[in-house]
Amino acid sequence: MMSVATLKQSTDNRPAEMPLQPGERVIAAQGLGKCYRRGAERLHALSDVSFEISAGEYVSIIGSSGAGKSTLLHLIGCMDTPTEGSLRIDGLETSRLNDRGLTRLRREKIGFVFQHFGLVPTLTVLENVLLPTLFARRNARARGEQLLERVGLADRRDHRPGELSGGEMQRAAIARALINDPRLLLADEPTGNLDTKTGDRILTLFRELSATGLTIVVVTHNPELASEANRQLTLQDGVLQSDTRARRASPSPRENSL
Amino acid sequence: MRWIMLVSRNLVRRPVRTLVSLGGLALAVAALFSLMSFERGYQEGMRGELDRLGAHILVVPKGCPYDSASMALHGASWPCYLKAEYLTRVRHTAGVDAAAPVLMNAVYNEQTGSSAVYLGVEPDILRLKRGWHIDGRLPTAPDECMLGSSTAVTLHAGRGSSLPLPALGQAHFRVTGVLGRTDGADDGFTFLSLAGAQQVFKRPGQLTHILVRLADPDRLDAVVADLRGCDAGMEMNVVPMAHLFQSIQSLVGSTRVVLGMVAVIALLIAAAGVGNTLLMAVNERSREIGMLRATGASSPQVFAMILLETWVLCTVGALTGVGTAAITARLLEGWLRDRLPFTPIGALMHPDTGLAALCVLAAWVVGAIGALLPAVRAAGLSPIAAMRSVR
Repeated sequence: MMSVATLKQSTDNRPAEMPLQPGERVIAAQGLGKCYRRGAERLHALSDVSFEISAGEYVSIIGSSGAGKSTLLHLIGCMDTPTEGSLRIDGLETSRLNDRGLTRLRREKIGFVFQHFGLVPTLTVLENVLLPTLFARRNARARGEQLLERVGLADRRDHRPGELSGGEMQRAAIARALINDPRLLLADEPTGNLDTKTGDRILTLFRELSATGLTIVVVTHNPELASEANRQLTLQDGVLQSDTRARRASPSPRENSL
Repeated sequence: MRWIMLVSRNLVRRPVRTLVSLGGLALAVAALFSLMSFERGYQEGMRGELDRLGAHILVVPKGCPYDSASMALHGASWPCYLKAEYLTRVRHTAGVDAAAPVLMNAVYNEQTGSSAVYLGVEPDILRLKRGWHIDGRLPTAPDECMLGSSTAVTLHAGRGSSLPLPALGQAHFRVTGVLGRTDGADDGFTFLSLAGAQQVFKRPGQLTHILVRLADPDRLDAVVADLRGCDAGMEMNVVPMAHLFQSIQSLVGSTRVVLGMVAVIALLIAAAGVGNTLLMAVNERSREIGMLRATGASSPQVFAMILLETWVLCTVGALTGVGTAAITARLLEGWLRDRLPFTPIGALMHPDTGLAALCVLAAWVVGAIGALLPAVRAAGLSPIAAMRSVR
């Protein structure tokens, strides 16, 4: 397996953006709310949620079903827009962005990991990893191969997702999320479809990614995964109940970023 | 990673459904390509055949002018005849440059099971048949003949040969010349002198038709009016070849319209099939499209992806259809020949690459129309709504 440091030698021709320094705000939510309409009924999925997440933090969002965890993740991921309040991602106010701007933000700054992996079944593992570069009009084949090596799937690069185990599929999805060198990695129940042993490998991978200084936000029911994070946001009925920081060393600067 | 690879892989995801859509599209394009090939082939064939006749006007006995024209062009036994003295009247009509009398007869040859067509002609015919190349000369004596190129091959005869002619008994005819290949009906004819033909077929003083060339083709209507108004006008049909071309074209027009309607309906059905296929694909892949949007695909890129899928499908379908039509052109030609009132001797279908390109273009346009709804729907999916959709 390749060292994390060597992955910094990115092969794409894009000029490297200035890495965020630890402590710089990546996410700033102020009075965030999301309200859905169902007929005459108004459903408040999120109400008055405020928090900030700095570069390099590893944050888990926990709460019972229907607490608004996924809604919050979708808002942070610019897949949905808030109906109330303000949300700034990497300094950009998302409520002022149109679809094109939100797409660009997702493409350039955010990597997603889904519970159901979201791999395209007709593409090989490597092609799945390279898929976001197609939309970004970049050629990053060498980086894709390096990421596959990093997540331990170098020998599976030409396999189809149907030929992989759940853990392998999730590792491929993580490699895909990292291909555009995002500032923020969002994961929605990344171990939800995996057995304990396989889930542990994903936990290890997240720990390693966090150690490189990557900002990670994970929505999970998995207490072990939640406890891995150095900060926990607890939601209940769409309201932020607690914001707890673990007593552990602050993350290292993102000098070895993926 | 390339777009074309992504969309091609999407198409093979449901191979049976893709094949059914491809089949419908290929059939529609094959129908369109066949129709256009026929349209071009028929027009070119007709025009070539009439040009080879070398006449601006055909004078035939009273009766159906189209039957007469068909007989004059392809060779047959005529049911009625013109009096030879009408030739003088035709020749003296103002504006007539040349008038060539012909006595045509087809005789069934029991040995070969086919008809041998004989034409009695005079040297004047060379003023009309300017494209003829004769190895030798036209027959002038009753025991002389000139062979069409195919007839010469069939009879293994050449200039200077002396042989009995098919279905004309034991009398020997001396071959004075062999007509160079014309790619028309003349290749299969045997030419006798007019007097010789009248003698052999026992039609003294009779003709089957007169080929007329005008000094100035722009005066066609005036010459036709003069010929119809003369004393002999009541006994003969004066058929302008340009009018004949238009009339025959309109006769087969109904067939073309029916075929055209079939092709258009087939294309519309194919477009609906393509649209339906893609709509189902978009519905099935909503979640995946949501994932693409989440990983950076823009709405226009999703729209383009669906459109590109359609065009790949349409290109393969159209090329399959064009190929199938080109391969089955001869079969269709035979089928059409049996059903059309008049067909030229040459190839009825003229498929070419220009028509093929036009058909592929038509398939793209039709495919794009069919893909519009699914593409708009896919592009309009919000990432979150798509992610929430049930697989």
